[in-house]
Amino acid sequence: MTSTVEAELEQFTRGDTQAFETLFRQYQGEVYGWIVRIVRDPGAAEDLTLETFWRIYRARARFDPRRPFGAWARRIATNLAVEHLSRRHAEQPLDDNVPRAAAASAAPDPAVGADVRAKVAAALGELPAKLRAAATLALIEETPYADIADALGISISGVKSRVFRAVRRLRRSLEKRGIRP
Amino acid sequence: MNEPDDALKELLQRAAGGAADRELKRDLWPAMARRLERRPERVPWWDWALAAALLLCLLLFPQTVLAVLYQL
Repeated sequence: MTSTVEAELEQFTRGDTQAFETLFRQYQGEVYGWIVRIVRDPGAAEDLTLETFWRIYRARARFDPRRPFGAWARRIATNLAVEHLSRRHAEQPLDDNVPRAAAASAAPDPAVGADVRAKVAAALGELPAKLRAAATLALIEETPYADIADALGISISGVKSRVFRAVRRLRRSLEKRGIRP
Repeated sequence: MNEPDDALKELLQRAAGGAADRELKRDLWPAMARRLERRPERVPWWDWALAAALLLCLLLFPQTVLAVLYQL
């Protein structure tokens, strides 16, 4: 890490708003990009990006400027994204859960019928938030396991275990709905 | 990942529309700046003084608790 970056991070930990703005502008795209991979809803991802930086700002005194800022931000962002999935899991009926978010972020394959999309969305929506985040990142976004592990604060074998459990639940849930991938 | 899992992965990707668009479409700093400008809500000092006086009064004259409860 260069001394300029470290000096800026040090200023940020002392509460310098200018330094915080520089960091915000530098990392907002990266943080948003990571969150939207998990929640797959651009509007929610923007709100969660702001919340992430708000928490970063409030926790600035605890940040060690010698450590990478991006990894710290990503960890906070991941926790918030998983909390968001967890809240949505509890609040919304399952069949209404994923399609709206997925539709807002990426266009589904037209060859896949709306009925299948709804069933896949419902099966994903049934997953507990932690499994869903791991499955979305690993299976849909094809994010390397090491990156997922780092962001979730668990080991690579922990990620593999979550993905394995998610696949097993998804398979069971899809079979119940008449889909056998 | 084995072959059946690859089939599941492909189904998930096709149904979800592949990877999400990761590009941020607008600068979020103005919203962040507004949030920073909002002053944290603080309890005024006279409220603390009033609470302390009430507590002191209750400690010194416990019988006044009934009068206080009556006022609530």
